[in-house]
Order: sequence, then C-alpha cells, then structure tokens
Amino acid sequence: MQQLDCPIIGRRPISEFVYGGEVRRPPPGDAPLADVADHAFNRTGQPTVLREWWFHRPTGRWFVLERNTLSNVVERVVPPQEVAYAIPTL
Amino acid sequence: MPFRRSEAGPREWIDRHRTVHFTFEGTRYVAFAGDTITSALQANGVQLLGRSFKYHRPRGALSMANHDVNALFTTADDTNVRGDVTPVTDALDVRPVNVSGSLARDAHRHLDRLGRFLPAGFYYKAFHKPRWLFPYWERLIRRRAGLGTVDSAWTPRRRPKRYGYCDVLVVGGGPAGLQAALGAAEASLDVLLVDENPHLGGSLDYEWVTDPAAPAQRDELMEAVAASPAIRVLTSAVALGFYTDHWVPVSTPEGIIKVRARGVVLATGVIEQPAVFRNNDLPGVLMASAAQRLLHRFGVQACERAVLQVNNPEGFAAAEDLRRGGVELQAVVASGPGVQKADAAALVDAGVPVHFGWAIVEAHGDGAVAAATIAPVDAGGVPDQTHARRIDCDGVVSSAGWGPAGHLLYQAGGRFSYDDTLEMPVPVAWPDTVVPAGRMNGVFSLASQRDDGRDAAGRLAAALAGGPVSDPMSNRDTRAHATPWPVVPHPKGRDFVDLDEDLQYKDLIQGAREGFDNVELLKRFTTVGMGPSQGKHSNLNAFRILARYLGQGMDETGTTTARPMYHPVRLEDLAGRRMRPWRETPVQAWHGEHGGFLMESGEWERPSFYGEEADAQQVIASEVTAVRTGVGIIDVSTLGKIEVLGPDAATLLDGSYTMRQGNLRAGLTRYALRTDDTGVIVDDGVVGRLAEDHYYLTATSSHAEGTYQTLTRHALEWGLDVHVVNRTGQLGALNLTGPLSRRVLEPLVDVDLSEAALPRLGMTDARVCGEWARLLRVGFVGELGYEIHAPAGTMARIWDALMDAGAPLGIRPFGVDTQRVLRLEKGHIIVGQDTDGLTNPFEAAMPWAVHLKKPWFVGRPALAHLKGAEQRKLVRFVMAADSSAPLPRESHLVIRDGTIAGRVTSIARSPTLGRPIGLAMVDRDLAEAGQALAIRGDGGRMLAAEVVTETFYDPDGLRQNADAPEVTP
Amino acid sequence: MPWRLLKIGLRGAHKEPRFFPEPADLRDSYDVVIIGGGGHGLACAYYLATRHGIRNVAVLEQGYIGGGNTGRNTTIVRSNYLTPDGVRFYDASVRMFQRLSQELDINLFYSTRGHYTLAHSDEAMRTMRWRAEVNRHLDVDSQVVDRDAVGRGIPGLDLDCGGSQPVMGALYHAPGAVVRHDAVAWGYARAATNNGVEVHQKTRVTGMQVENGRVCGVATDRGNIRCGAVVSMVAGSTPRITEMAGLSTPIEIFPLQACVTEPVKPFLDTIVVSGSLHVYVSQSSRGELVMGASVDPAVLHSTRSSFEFVEGLADRIVDLFPFTARLRINRQWAGMSDMTPDFAPIMGTTPVSGFYLDAGWGTWGFKATPISGSTMADTVANNRNHELIEPFRFDRFADFQLVGEKGAASVGH
Ligand SMILES: Cc1cc2nc3c(=O)[nH]c(=O)nc-3n(C[C@H](O)[C@H](O)[C@H](O)COP(=O)(O)OP(=O)(O)OC[C@H]3O[C@@H](n4cnc5c(N)ncnc54)[C@H](O)[C@@H]3O)c2cc1C
Repeated sequence: MQQLDCPIIGRRPISEFVYGGEVRRPPPGDAPLADVADHAFNRTGQPTVLREWWFHRPTGRWFVLERNTLSNVVERVVPPQEVAYAIPTL
Repeated sequence: MPFRRSEAGPREWIDRHRTVHFTFEGTRYVAFAGDTITSALQANGVQLLGRSFKYHRPRGALSMANHDVNALFTTADDTNVRGDVTPVTDALDVRPVNVSGSLARDAHRHLDRLGRFLPAGFYYKAFHKPRWLFPYWERLIRRRAGLGTVDSAWTPRRRPKRYGYCDVLVVGGGPAGLQAALGAAEASLDVLLVDENPHLGGSLDYEWVTDPAAPAQRDELMEAVAASPAIRVLTSAVALGFYTDHWVPVSTPEGIIKVRARGVVLATGVIEQPAVFRNNDLPGVLMASAAQRLLHRFGVQACERAVLQVNNPEGFAAAEDLRRGGVELQAVVASGPGVQKADAAALVDAGVPVHFGWAIVEAHGDGAVAAATIAPVDAGGVPDQTHARRIDCDGVVSSAGWGPAGHLLYQAGGRFSYDDTLEMPVPVAWPDTVVPAGRMNGVFSLASQRDDGRDAAGRLAAALAGGPVSDPMSNRDTRAHATPWPVVPHPKGRDFVDLDEDLQYKDLIQGAREGFDNVELLKRFTTVGMGPSQGKHSNLNAFRILARYLGQGMDETGTTTARPMYHPVRLEDLAGRRMRPWRETPVQAWHGEHGGFLMESGEWERPSFYGEEADAQQVIASEVTAVRTGVGIIDVSTLGKIEVLGPDAATLLDGSYTMRQGNLRAGLTRYALRTDDTGVIVDDGVVGRLAEDHYYLTATSSHAEGTYQTLTRHALEWGLDVHVVNRTGQLGALNLTGPLSRRVLEPLVDVDLSEAALPRLGMTDARVCGEWARLLRVGFVGELGYEIHAPAGTMARIWDALMDAGAPLGIRPFGVDTQRVLRLEKGHIIVGQDTDGLTNPFEAAMPWAVHLKKPWFVGRPALAHLKGAEQRKLVRFVMAADSSAPLPRESHLVIRDGTIAGRVTSIARSPTLGRPIGLAMVDRDLAEAGQALAIRGDGGRMLAAEVVTETFYDPDGLRQNADAPEVTP
Repeated sequence: MPWRLLKIGLRGAHKEPRFFPEPADLRDSYDVVIIGGGGHGLACAYYLATRHGIRNVAVLEQGYIGGGNTGRNTTIVRSNYLTPDGVRFYDASVRMFQRLSQELDINLFYSTRGHYTLAHSDEAMRTMRWRAEVNRHLDVDSQVVDRDAVGRGIPGLDLDCGGSQPVMGALYHAPGAVVRHDAVAWGYARAATNNGVEVHQKTRVTGMQVENGRVCGVATDRGNIRCGAVVSMVAGSTPRITEMAGLSTPIEIFPLQACVTEPVKPFLDTIVVSGSLHVYVSQSSRGELVMGASVDPAVLHSTRSSFEFVEGLADRIVDLFPFTARLRINRQWAGMSDMTPDFAPIMGTTPVSGFYLDAGWGTWGFKATPISGSTMADTVANNRNHELIEPFRFDRFADFQLVGEKGAASVGH
C-alpha cells in the first residue's frame, strides 16, 4: 500500500487519507455562467504535477500536496497559505 | 506397483519415521510426513495425476515447483489444490479435478482425438450460427470448462492478517538469498528472509548434490542465518507481489503477512522451462529439476530408465545426480550453445551413452511414457529424422533452460532484456532499493551466486544509507544455460507449449498467421500463459516461437505483463478477519430491550419503530398519534454535532451554507442547507449560535463526517481563524416532542421553558437531571419539541429520567419510520430521498433557503444562474382518502401523455390527515396547485393524485408554541 | 460438432485466413482519423465504412488493438440505467450486441446471464424501483425482486451477507450479459479492415493541428497526417488528446481494478452486483470468477495494481458467497477510467470543428461499444450529433444539463 507523508504525523498508509481533489479557486458569486461551469465541472485531467487536497482522517487535518499524477510521486507539501484566498462577506 | 523410494538422503524433507495414510480416488495409500500429494503418489507408483484442461490428456508431474497445474486435486474442503507442493496429511481424501468418472477412464478422454477440430481460438469461429443454437453450445462449453468443483458447504476461515516491518526483505532462501540476508545483517540491517518452500536452501538441497563443496557451504549458510539475531525467517511463505512503496504481502499457512520493507533483495531464482516435442506432456516426461526435487526432497525416483535431454551444465549435473540416485540413463542427448563436452565427463566415464548434437523429438506411450525418439539436430535445432532412434524408457527428463522468476522485480519497475549469451532474459534496470540477486540475475555458479547475494546486500545497504550505489558488479555467467530453440515441432502436433491451456506449437503459429502477431494479441487469442500457472513454463517458449516466426529478436518481440499474484492465493486469506465498523448510541441497549425494530443505517443501527414487523403500519400510526397528541421521544444521537469556535466562525458558516448565519442572534438556531459548487444539495441541518464567536450545528447522520471535513477544509482554504470540533460521537442526542413535551421536561431542567425564555428555534445550555446538556427547540416533526444534546455518558440517564417523567403522560418512544411520516406531514424533505444527485434548492422548492443577497457562498455562483431555470420541481400531493385503494410506492413514476413526467419521492398514509400524502419531483409545468398527477403504481395501475401547495399539517406552525393551551393546561 | 470446426479440422488449421491484413504504410492523408484502437474506435471505423461509405479511414492505436480498457474490462452488458436517455442508449447497444456475433461472423460468446443488482437498504430499494420503473417504461426488462426471489435466483448467496448489510431485494435485469471483450475488438477490426479501413497499431498520436478552430491533421510518432476529421476514442487517455485540441473537459482519470480466480466448474450463472458492498462478480465461460469494485480513490494515470483492492474485494465476496473462500485469485490488473461528474459519457461534436469526442466511458463503456461506434459514425458522417447521443453532448456541462446516471453507474459497470 502506498504511503503518504502526513505533514503532522509523517508517513502513513494511504487508506488513512481521503482524496479531496484538485485545488481550484472558485469564481466570484456573480461570475458569468461559462466561468461558473468551468469551475464547477472542468478539471485538469491530463497527467501533470497536480495540487490537490488530502485529508488525514486520524488527525482530522487537511493539507495540500503537489503530486505527479503519472508517476504517483509526491513532490512537495504546499503550505496552506499558498492556496488560501479570502471570500467576500456581507 | 513398485514402491519407488530411494535411499534416505541428507537433505530430504520427508520424515521416514512418520507415515500418513491418505486416499486417492478411493484407494488408500501410505506416505511419509513431509510428502506432497504428488510425491506421495509418485512414490506409490501413481504417475497419472490429472487430465488436461481442454483435451483431457493424461498428465503427471512436471516441475514440482508450484506450477504443476495438470496435477490439481479436490479435497473435502478445497479444490484446485496443487499436488506438487501441498503436503499430504493423515486421512486426506484426494480426488482429481476435471475428470468425469475416474482418471484412467475419464469419459472425456476421447476429446484428445478431436484436437484438430479444436485449434486455438476455435470458439471464436463456431457455434454462433445459427443464433438460436448458441445457448446450447454455450452450456456444453461452459460445463467442460473450469477445473475443480466448489462445494457450497465450505465455510470461510477468516484469520487476522499480520504486518511485518523490516529494513530488508529477502525473497528466496537459496544460496544468493541466504548470502544476501547475511550481508544485510552484517550491515546492521534488520532482515526478513522468506521462501515459498518449507525449508530454506533453495537449489542447495537438490541441485548441488554432485558438487562436493556444496553441502558444507549449505550448512555454513544455514547455520549463519539461524545464528543471526538480525534475520527473521519465514518458510512456506510466498511473496505474492510487489506493490507501491515496498509493500510485499507474504502468504503463509497461517495467513497473510503484509511486509513493508525499506529495501528488497529478490533472489527468487529461475523457473525451469520445458522442451517442446511431440507428447512432451505424457506422464513420465518431466523437467530435470523436478526429478531432482523428487529425489532429494522426497526420496522418490521419478523413473527407473530415463532418456535425458540436456542443454546446459545444470542438465549434466542433474543427469549424474539421477544416475547416482539409481536411475538407469538409457541415453543423454545434448545440443546447443549451453553444452560443453567437458561437463559430460562424469557421465561418459560412467558409460552413459551421451549423444552430442542430438535432441528428443518425440515421446511415446499410452497414458505414460514408454519410449523416446531422439535425433540429431542442426545448429538451428532442426532434427534429422533419417537418423532418428527410438529408445525404450519410463522417464523422459529435460533440462532445456531457465526463465527468471522476475515477477516482483518487474512489478517494482525493473526491466528485463534477453541475454543472447546466457540465452535467457535478465534484469537490466531496477530501482536502487529493489535489487535482484542470484540466478534470476543470470548468476549461475554457487560461488558467484553467493558473491551476487553479498553484492546485492551491499548495494542495498548503500542505497538505504543514502550513499552512492556502486555499479552493479556483474557476477553474471558468460556462457549459455539454455538452448535458444528448445522446440521440435511435430507435423502431427501434440508438441505442447502451454500445458495449462493445452496449446501446441501449431496453435501459436496459427495465431500469429491469423494476425495475432504480437505477444499481447497472441496471448489473448491463444490464451498462452493465461492458465493457473500464468505462463511460468510457457511464456518464454511462446515468445521464442513468435520471435522466430516473425524473424526478429526476443527483445523486439517483447513480453507480457507479469501481474500479481505470484502464486494464486485464497480469497479467505486475502479477506482476513471480518471487521465492520460499528457504532452504538448511548441508548442503544434500551432500544433492544424495548422492542425497537432495528435497521442498519450506515454504521449505526436504529429503531424503525417499537413493535413487531408484522404490525409495522399500525405501530407507526400509533407512534405518530402519540407524538401529535401527547409526547414522543426519539434517539437522534446519530446526528452530526459540530462546534465552531473563533472570531471567523460566522464567516465560515456564511461561506459554507446557503442561508445567512452571520446575523443569527446568540441563543437562536436556523435551518442550514449546504450545496456544492454546482449548486446541488448536499446536506441539511441546523446551525445555532451560542455567542459572537461560537456556533453549534448539526448535520444528517450520513453526512456528519463529510460536513466536518468540508468545514475544516474551508477554514484552511479561506484562511480563517476558527476551530471546528466534531462532537458527533462524544455527544448523544434525543428529541422529546409533542404537545406534552414541555410538561415532561420542565421538572427536570434548571431553565425556564416558556416561549419567552426559550422561544421556538431557541438554543440554550442547561442542566437536565443535574447534568450538562444543550437544548434546541427545533421541530423536524412539526410539534413543540426539544432536542437534548448531552455527553454520551449521561445520555442514557437523561433518557430514562424522561421516560419515567413521561410515563404518566403516556410518553412513547418512536422510530425512524415514524419520524419519516411525521416530517412528511409537515412537508420537510429528506436529503437524498426527496432530492437526488442533481437537485438544487430551487428544484426542491426551497428558494427561501438560498440567500443570494450574500455575495458569496459555496454554490452561489451556480445558484445565481439556476434560479428560475428549474425544469422540475418537488411538489406535495394528496390522494383520495379511500383506504382500500392501493398506494403508489416511492419511485413510482408520474406519467403524462405516455411519457415520464416525474416520480414519487416520499409517500405515506397520513394517520393525522387520514389520507395518503406525498412528495414528488415533477416537470415544472405540473407543479401547480390543483394539478392532477397520474402515478403508475404496482402492476401498471394508474393512480390519481393532486398537487397541493399548502403544508399538509399545521401550516402556520401554531403547534410549536411552547405556551399553547394544550401544552400548559 | 459445428460445421465450421469440421471444415477447419479437415483442411488443416493453417489455411485459416488472416484476421487482419498485413500492416500497411501510414499514408499522409485520410478523410477520417480515429485515435484509439479500442472497441469504440474500431466499431466507429466499421460503421463509417459500412453504413456511410467512408472508407478512407485510419484507426491509430498506440499499442495493440483492444489493449486499453476494451481488453481489461469485466464485460458486463446491460441497459438497466436510470435516466430515460441512458436507458434508450444502452438498450440500443444491447440489441446490437445480441446480433453482433452473426453480423461480424465471430463468436463473441455473448452470454445472456441475467443481472442482479443487490439492495442492502431501503434507500437502495428505492433506487432499484426507480430504475425498474424507468426501464419498463422503455420496454427494458427489469424488475424489483424481493429477498426470497434473490435467494432462489442466486444459489449459494448468503442473504445475510455474513452478518451485516443483509440483502433486502434486488433489481433483476434478465438481458444482462457478458461477452468476450477481445473478440469484440477483433471482430470490428476485421470487419473494418475488410471494408477498406486501415488499422495502424504501434502508432501514437502526439499532437493535433487545429487552424482557425478547425482540425486539419494529427502528428504521430510515425509522421504527420492530414485529415478532415479526427475522432478521439481513447477512454483513459482522453484528457491528453483534448489538451492537444485545446479543450477543457470534466474528465478525470481514476484507475479501475479487476481480478480473476482460477477456473472452477460453473456454479454462478448470473451476474451479481452489490452497490452497497462495492463489488460485482460473474463467472466466465472459462470458469474463472471475474470480479471488480469501484474506482480507486485518487486520480492516477497508471495501470498499477494495489493489494488493498484484492483485500477489500475478497472481504466482500466472501460475505456474499462464503464457500468461495477457498477459491484463489490468480491475477489482478487495472485500467484507466475516464470519469465524468454525472457518470454519463461525453459524445459528439465539440467546439473544435472536425474534432469529435467519444469519451467519459469510465467504468461502464464496454457495453456501449456497438452503439457508440454507430452513433459516432453517423455523427461524423453528418457533422451533427445523432439523436441518441444528443443528451451526452459536449456542452451539457456549460448549460448545467447533466444526465444523472450516478445512481445506476457507480459500481454497476
Ligand atoms: C477493470 C475495468 C472493468 C470494466 N468493466 C466494465 C464492464 O463490466 N462493463 C462495461 O460496460 N464497461 C466496463 N469498463 C469500462 C470499459 O472498459 C471502457 O469504458 C471501454 O472499454 C472503453 O472503450 P474504448 O474503445 O473507448 O477505449 P479503450 O479500449 O481504452 O481504447 C482506447 C485506445 O486508445 C489508445 N490510445 C490512447 N491514446 C492514444 C494516442 N495518443 N494515440 C493512439 N492511440 C491511443 C489506447 O492504447 C487504447 O487502446 C471497465 C473498465 C475497466 C478498466
């Protein structure tokens, strides 16, 4: 079984993790339909180094990895600040 | 029948002091402890062990190395048991597989004569015309297929799997593996050494017998390994495959051990390959290593008078070995680049007729080998039949060459290339931490195998230490160990390349001719290598045949993928112990003791109602009435319960839910609906605010974990200063509801329950029965009600206290099915039942739950466009009160003009309203008040319903007033 | 003994004609280039040639024909889908499959077995009823059966599933079938090449020429080709091709694994699927149990196997059929599934003129081979979507007009 490096407690079997998919930034609340649909449905499907969300169930933590989806090699742990964005509030 | 035991040898696996008795086809036989089924039968002179898959030809032992799949057996509790490696035990009752009648008189043996009508791929070319006849042929063919027969009475043995960790896993306990284990141990690495055989030693216990130096070396290696505290040894242990991150499951008689190693040495050796000639499948034709295994491990002579084909030095050694073991060598034929006359010196000295430049071209016999025809062959392996000679014998033994047992290396990313000197594929590239050693690596002499094991350990140790890895110092041999062409095709066929699948030379040629002329297509068309032994003795020869047919090199021709399992492994071993996560609410026991009809619901088990299944409808109706007119109580501990704390708590919830939560007043709750990026409803619940920076929320049982994950991810994604705590398991919850609920609860709490103090949708922390609890005045079922959340440890006490306090008022526990009816009367949806995987809140008729005034929340960008664009809508409907009329069921379709116009999502006969009510998702233009719906019920019967817009029950919510007269009389 | 085999036997097998012609040289221009020599690509070529007279067609296959998901799938053919669009489409495919052996003159071993989708919860029973109702409305033979009927229909099944998640009932779909997957590819390849199509194996498309929103050729590792139309039928490689065309799609690639046991005598006639337990099983005509599960949990462009797959699968199969505990897994493998958000395919014309897409086949596309081939051929020949595939059109996502097959497709194959 593959192992993933949980940034909190280190290498753990992949069965402890939940895959959260590609990191994507949502469009603004009043974005045109095409942008909304693009964000909601389209994905970076081709092999690449993908930024993706992973959740470690035992520790209850999310983190972001850069993983090569062809070789399955994790290349980098991404600090959450790098993917964070502010959401507009009332 | 002769009892073919030889004299006791020094390395044998059998214990001649312990006999066991077993039965084969009803006849009792005696064997020694340590015998396998095959060795025991051979010792008893039984050579006919099975019938082949397709032609039902007689077959016997071939490899004695776990790929004798023509000698499979059925026992009382297993089938497809491999006789060559499975121990006989006392009272074992063994039957052959795939025969009709007895082995000797198998009713299907005539199929052999029909062979010419059943060429490779024959089933693609016939039986499909006329179409209506195919099922007949299919039944016939299916019955013929398959090997053993299963017994539906077998019960699984579900044993726990174990885990193993080590620095270095060494697979293979032959000279290279033993030496590699020692080398790694010397480098202070923690070593696990596994071997599929019951004893370590590998080829040392049967192949080096004529080498005077070997026994001492073997003892030295074995003793050193036994003495090393750093080496753990597992025998009868098959490494099944190599998986990502050095994960190597090992199958043992006690179950599977999943090994995680930092590095792996693969000293898995080689697999002897058969020579292809006419009748090379007769019982009595076997490979030299098989004869040696029989002799030295089991003290069994494979035959008395043998003809041998030798194509490598190992073959000459084997011949000498068998000779010393008492076999009369009628002739040894030797040809090809692997043959050097000097290797035959001992044989020649002993007077054995050795024919250099000759090969076996045919075996003869009816049911067992009785003679062999040998002939000179030219450099290309083509025999000169004019000089052919027939020699009587009862055994034909070949040593034609080797194929690497490279499966795990291949799976680890290693690459192989055909070595034209060695005449076998050898590894040419591999990861630093997965290293081949020994014969698999093309290393043959005993001394160099040991060197290679030592080198492999050294390279691995360097790699694990992160240091530079030296170039693989090659211990590879520089001479051939095989004939490049161990194939003598016969015009009349029966020259088998794949004994699993009954494939002859001409089948492969025919496949290639028909256009299946690359390895993968050839494999798929002819099925070569697809039988139970997965090509262990057939792939290499098949590739040779294809390469020659195409006139190209072996590498150009390629190989097929070596997939796990290395040897087949039982489902029960893979399954392991049966573990199912299971959760209990704090009042679980109570439900069982009080007649709760329990139904699984995810990991939980919840009462549907309290009573007998047969009375379900009446029981549910009476529980409904109890709630509507008195007081009921339901265990809702399975709800997700999440605490959100911190200055950004409001932002998190405003961004995560469709409704505004930031403007919620402390002490109040609000309905909470969650959608995804596409605007589809995911979950619903209630959000309550305790303080400016403190919220508490619920989620449905099946989305408790998902809600927690979503919120924690958003917190990170949006850079929020907030803590999200999942209290689902730590808190229990119940709902006390009905007009009399306040009267039950009031005496037990320390807070004022008046409408003013704890209003509808209010929330407060309180003491219930002196214990801390959280009260939420929410009403899924549409009556005055209190959700009481309290630590799991005190929940049962609170429950009991409420039951006691409620007893005089007729309190009734109610179940999930009752709750479903109650909420339906109130028109509340259940996410996942009344919505599907594409339903948005507008379609669910909940526009009020979408606060598009918020600039942003998950789903807002989509919902802003979807508003008003819905093509279908959830509606309420009622049906005529006639209680004898059949009711549609959930999922029955709404039909208009013969087309589908919707479906029923919820339905019940409402005990309160006295008529059937329901929810349906219908085409938008049907979603008008008063619209008649035609629902197709059971048996196609059309049932009439009418759309209504009003909430079925208590549309103004008057019944949820805590100060109503019936509440506080 | 069938006449055909007698003939082969009597005249000697070696005289059997070639299935496929000797490989030809790659020409520098074709009317239509089909990328992908799986079942879909070969079927499309066959129907282009036979139904539309378009024979100047090259099928380019990077490996060998049928070597993608066509040769890796567990061959379940059924039409008991959930949406009317899906049911109509797959039903048309099943009907074509039922006569395909005769049409292509190759025995595909099309074996009608009956297909049970087990329900282990009320919720699942509701979905089964929904499917049954929609199916029957469209004349597809599906019905909800109760627990006892499941027991009678599947001898040996443990209705209590080892103690949890007991079977409550099932959706029974009589036309459910299994087929020899390779033979489907070979049969179409032979029929297509007999009608003038060229099939080039070991020929990989590495780029696409698009000018002014129009496709005008492809680059391959054997040289460039000019063409008026390109049809991408590459399943697990789709995102690589759509990227060449400059298109974004919702397709993500997840490995899907399967395994077989050693062959045993027939004991399981029907196809058994359990969505709740995430497994399915049938017994092949060779006697092997063919088993599979859901896709792997994370995106990956790889056909590596994982041990946890066989462990999880065995755990559930032994619950369903306790006596299979002694059967041995012989071989496991994986394919790359091109998954879509609504578990329905993406078919037809695209924003790039002359570029046609046939993708999003995920875990369920083998059964669609004949109908995809024929409707795509029709679409290419007329440069507009065939009516059966219109619901699966490329731009349905942009319009939020999803198809909603998840309930019927996830583990059902
Ligand atoms: C384990 C498994 C089980 C399944 N079970 C079922 C089932 O039971 N029932 C069912 O209906 N479906 C099932 N499926 C799904 C089904 O197999 C596929 O959807 C279907 O086979 C797709 O066929 P295809 O012809 O489109 O693609 P493929 O057969 O994958 O063919 C695509 C071809 O394109 C080639 N290619 C890719 N890129 C290039 C390039 N750049 N240049 C040239 N050639 C290229 C590939 O080599 C490949 O041969 C299963 C899939 C898997 C993996």
